[in-house]
Amino acid sequence: MQLSAFGQNVAHVNLATGRFELRPTPEPWVRRYIGARGLGVRYVLEAGPGVDPLGPENVLCFLNGPLTGSEASMSGSWACVTKSPLTGTVTDSHQGGWTGARLRWAGFDGLVFEGRSAMPVYAYVEDGRIELRDASPVWGQGIHQTIAFFQQRYGVKNLSVNAIGPAGERGNRFAAWLNEDDRAFGRGGTGAVGGAKNLKAIVIRAASKKSQVDDRQAWKQVRREALDAIRDEVNITSPRKGGLSVYGTNVLMNVTNRIGALGTRNSQKTSFGDRAEAISGERVQETILVGDPTCHACPVACKKEVEIADGPWKGLRMESVEYEPAWSLGANCDNDDVASIAKLIDQCNDLGMDPIELGNVLSMYMEATEQGWAPGGGGLAWGDTAAMVSLTDAIGRCEGEGELLAEGTALAAAKLGHPEIAMAVKGQAVPAYDPRGLKGMGLGYATSNRGACHLRAYVAAAELGVVPGEAEPLDPLEWKGKGQLVKTFQDLHAFSDSLDFCKFSAFAEGADHYARQYATAMGIEFGADEVMAAGERIYNLERHYNNLAGFGAGSDTLPARFTQEPSSEPGSKGHVSELDAMLAEYYAARGWQEGVVPEGKLRELGIV
Amino acid sequence: MSAVRVCFYATFRPIVGGKHAEIAVGDDATVGDLLAAIVERWPTLREHLLRPDGALSKRANLFVDGRALRFLPAGLDTPLDPRQEIDCFPAVAGG
Repeated sequence: MQLSAFGQNVAHVNLATGRFELRPTPEPWVRRYIGARGLGVRYVLEAGPGVDPLGPENVLCFLNGPLTGSEASMSGSWACVTKSPLTGTVTDSHQGGWTGARLRWAGFDGLVFEGRSAMPVYAYVEDGRIELRDASPVWGQGIHQTIAFFQQRYGVKNLSVNAIGPAGERGNRFAAWLNEDDRAFGRGGTGAVGGAKNLKAIVIRAASKKSQVDDRQAWKQVRREALDAIRDEVNITSPRKGGLSVYGTNVLMNVTNRIGALGTRNSQKTSFGDRAEAISGERVQETILVGDPTCHACPVACKKEVEIADGPWKGLRMESVEYEPAWSLGANCDNDDVASIAKLIDQCNDLGMDPIELGNVLSMYMEATEQGWAPGGGGLAWGDTAAMVSLTDAIGRCEGEGELLAEGTALAAAKLGHPEIAMAVKGQAVPAYDPRGLKGMGLGYATSNRGACHLRAYVAAAELGVVPGEAEPLDPLEWKGKGQLVKTFQDLHAFSDSLDFCKFSAFAEGADHYARQYATAMGIEFGADEVMAAGERIYNLERHYNNLAGFGAGSDTLPARFTQEPSSEPGSKGHVSELDAMLAEYYAARGWQEGVVPEGKLRELGIV
Repeated sequence: MSAVRVCFYATFRPIVGGKHAEIAVGDDATVGDLLAAIVERWPTLREHLLRPDGALSKRANLFVDGRALRFLPAGLDTPLDPRQEIDCFPAVAGG
């Protein structure tokens, strides 16, 4: 595994012919766009911004970063990059577990799928070989059964399976890919792109390999520095001590609730009151937690495996009750039954859907029902968990009422004649931070290149007291200064997504840690300033693609609910999102003209 | 003398042994007085809540009716009111 040669082993798989070829990635692309997310966007741009996301001309890129599968801490992520059928933007999503690492160990930096197969196939990858094999025995099956089928056929040891479920096969616009660890390429509908290509799964068999880094001593040293930073972050990432390690991502539920930043009932309110405790990470840890699985090279172990002991879902064992779906299917739907949330997440994991989008489409439909706008005979009541489970199955299979809702929150609301009740940006539904209580997150949603997203900038940490060095926390209710803050974190994360490190590494590591590990692994000179420069270049490349795809002035927006309906809850009472003022700051920091990257900026960054 | 109810979260809960506690403070107490009473009762919390100079640590969040203490105009001198809701968190992040 030669890290310094990263990019030379990207396999381009023609699904129409069944052939693949190794095409070395142009060296300037690797130098400018690093890998994973950045490199994937460059491949998607090459395919053209005008392609039909569900047509054969769209490319579906599964790419490692240069550090994926290495010994570096939290290096288990890989990226799926394509044009999204949900948003029409370029989209990237990142999956944890061991699958990306196994692809590296099998001898590949990435797989770029082109065209469309005439029949359902899966890609079998082992020891430098790729074969397309008949997937008809598992076509129509859920992801869990699909994975079990391949494990029976090829054995469990050293095997990873990344698959779509019925949602992806049937064109659900927020369909996802999941692996044997229930880790997902969750957002943006990448699973639907796989389904449209008749690609059911990627099956990889590979034993672990050590990376070949020339300076082993320096490699050990820089990795040690990063691991020390993760261990020393006692409040968050420190194994078995920090909140993220002990409670998982759902450690956030109570704090966002208490500051009035937890959207409730389709964001009609900004707090779930005393009911948030019932769906919090603390409650999960006390009552149903049974395991803390981890990903490749991760000491944090934020995943939380649960088992339901009673009620209608008794006996369900699943992972993972994360903050995002606990919110989207919980407070957002007026549901405080954590067992039903576990059930709904497990359905998403099996049908292959993004639970953030699902929760939003359900809450939108609940509000439509309340207003009398649901189609005749249909509808969904707030917090009706049995009906949510039933409707989720229909959405995953694109059947009955589910066919409309499988279009995603924004398009379904528009078809109901009420786009104003869709909490979405550029066609993708919002995550679990209400922009009235965390102003920077609202700007992050509006300016995300893949539609509403918490992970592009993730300034919630800085607004909740997690800031590096001597920096002081930023007031979550202050809009001033958020333009530069959002740009900085978008650029930093564009780089870490391209390495590809887990996003949570940034709670302990900084640009200097990333630079030292990348430089040592690649055998090059590379500093923290170049981390930020590369991140900025990648972010502008994505924006350039979106501009070419038709997203121009006015595309960076928020639902009017966030900008015009003040919060009524403690912590954020009376506040709305001052989006226009923040956007002006942000565009100035970016050097953009109303959301469009000017030619001069593209040249300055070396994009054109 | 009166009692103020403080709610604790995440890794602070094992330290205080529950979700909330009643903290005795003087009639004209401030939030700073409350913090002093908390760390006196649970000395382990001192390193999490306070800097060596006695100021609130930036790695802790004390909320008064949902507003972080560090952003209240009077800071530690903010007067306590029994009707206020007080929440005490370590720095948290996830995603």
